[in-house]
Amino acid sequence: MAARHRIENPVLAAPLVLFLLAVLGFPVVLSLIYGFSDTGFETLGAPVFNGLDNFRAVLGDASFWQAAWFSLRFGALTALAECGLGLFLAVYLAPLIRAHGWMVAVLIAPMIIAPAMMGLMYRLVLHEFAGPLPHYLYAWFGFSPAFLNAQNVFTTVFVIEALQWTPFAFLLFLTAYQAIPQDLREAAAVDGTRPWRMFWRIELPLMAPTLVIALFVRFIDGFRVFDNIFVLVGSGPGGTTRSMSIYIYEAFFRAGKIGQALAASILLFLAAFALLWLIGRLTRRAA
Amino acid sequence: MRRLHHLLRWAVFAVAAFVMNFPLLATLVTAFKSPAEVSRNAGLWVQMPTLENFATVLTVSDRLNVYAYLWNSLVAALIGAILPMVLCFPIAWAMVRRGYGRGVLFALIINLRALPLVVFAIPLYMMFRAVGLLDTQLGLGLILAVVNLPLALLLLVNAVADLPLELEEAAEMDGARLPGLLWRIVLPLCRPALMTVFIFGFITAWNEFLFGLMLTTRDAVPMTVGASFFFAASGGGVQWGVAAAVIVVAALPPLLLGLVMYRRVAGSMVAGAVKG
Repeated sequence: MAARHRIENPVLAAPLVLFLLAVLGFPVVLSLIYGFSDTGFETLGAPVFNGLDNFRAVLGDASFWQAAWFSLRFGALTALAECGLGLFLAVYLAPLIRAHGWMVAVLIAPMIIAPAMMGLMYRLVLHEFAGPLPHYLYAWFGFSPAFLNAQNVFTTVFVIEALQWTPFAFLLFLTAYQAIPQDLREAAAVDGTRPWRMFWRIELPLMAPTLVIALFVRFIDGFRVFDNIFVLVGSGPGGTTRSMSIYIYEAFFRAGKIGQALAASILLFLAAFALLWLIGRLTRRAA
Repeated sequence: MRRLHHLLRWAVFAVAAFVMNFPLLATLVTAFKSPAEVSRNAGLWVQMPTLENFATVLTVSDRLNVYAYLWNSLVAALIGAILPMVLCFPIAWAMVRRGYGRGVLFALIINLRALPLVVFAIPLYMMFRAVGLLDTQLGLGLILAVVNLPLALLLLVNAVADLPLELEEAAEMDGARLPGLLWRIVLPLCRPALMTVFIFGFITAWNEFLFGLMLTTRDAVPMTVGASFFFAASGGGVQWGVAAAVIVVAALPPLLLGLVMYRRVAGSMVAGAVKG
């Protein structure tokens, strides 16, 4: 039995492991070679080892730090906004949704749309002449802000991201809320607990794990944002909306700095890895 | 008081649904406006509905070919949705029933979900260039499969863990060998999970943009990237009616699939997040 398992188990794992080695393992090796060499698109065949020069160049690049700061701020703020709004919608609308399940479909529709398509839609929505939003703002208030100028563009992309992904947080909280046993609420109601107090003392603590997960997932996705911002404004006026993903893309495709783009990728990978490791430790300690 | 709260809930729902779906509504309305009407009326209604924008989108020009984009997206998304099921099914069973790969391999795949995938984009570009996968449907499909791996593995592991052990034991008593056991007993029982993996994977793959942008240039351009070509102003600026129509065409397949199957999609999103 055990002898058979010794052969069978690796065979069962083989497809996945081989696929990973080919599609991810090989690129990792390439990253390490080119991340530590001086190369352009013409000299791809003959990388010249240059030690930590690429890393020094990236870490000395002001726009790298600007991009890192943008991604951190964008990830944190969108995660907070989405979770706050999503939690409110889930808890407040839950009684209504119990009778009308179709409401969920209407509210989660935005996240089935490609973020890139969402970004393109906003090019239309916000357009000075063809866009409905400026049209109504002019008609009702006689004024419409320049949504994409250096001063407002962060707020604009923040709102766009938050509106598309609040449904995700909403969905998680709705599931967690509906999973709270009804007799728990009834028992509390018999004891005379008011709804507001019920939420803070009973329902919210029970949903705390979901809250942590939702914040984490939304932070990660906000941090690595690319599609919607890229199609709407690119890196924005003066690089105001350049996320880490956009930084790496531009370093590679626009500037042709292969070594630097890879060095930035490696740094981003290490940062993400460190974050995951930290979270893994924290959750294990909590459990 | 109760009645008031009830009305207020409906109002909150209406406002949230309207605001969050506003871009979709605006795009849908604009897609039916003639060029003359777009410049005259930017509001949320159409005076003279027309299909000419869709006709323009569906006409092949020397620069833009929407059928090619749709076909590329379809092929790449099918590869990206089906390959993870094939790769993950056997090992998911081994993980649950034998605890094999439960530690490192499982953690590795699940954590892929949290990595910024852009870090793989450039080395993949260089590798694809070397082996001739750049700008091919297969190349794009392979990386879309990577994107879908974490959820596929997670949902299949959950599905196998929920199966009763007795069926497999009975089959083993009857002398069934492992391949037959997996193929004839376990696989059919996992069909609902496989269906979910497929639908969710297909939507995710269809909606992907970054890899399509970086790894294709001409022959394998997917719909999301092709749609952005319609926004590249050619002389007279963007034709908003046509641009809106192409977004509708690009967003429709996943939207229809997602809304018809919204319970499944919702369920897999929750499962993916709660374990990931």
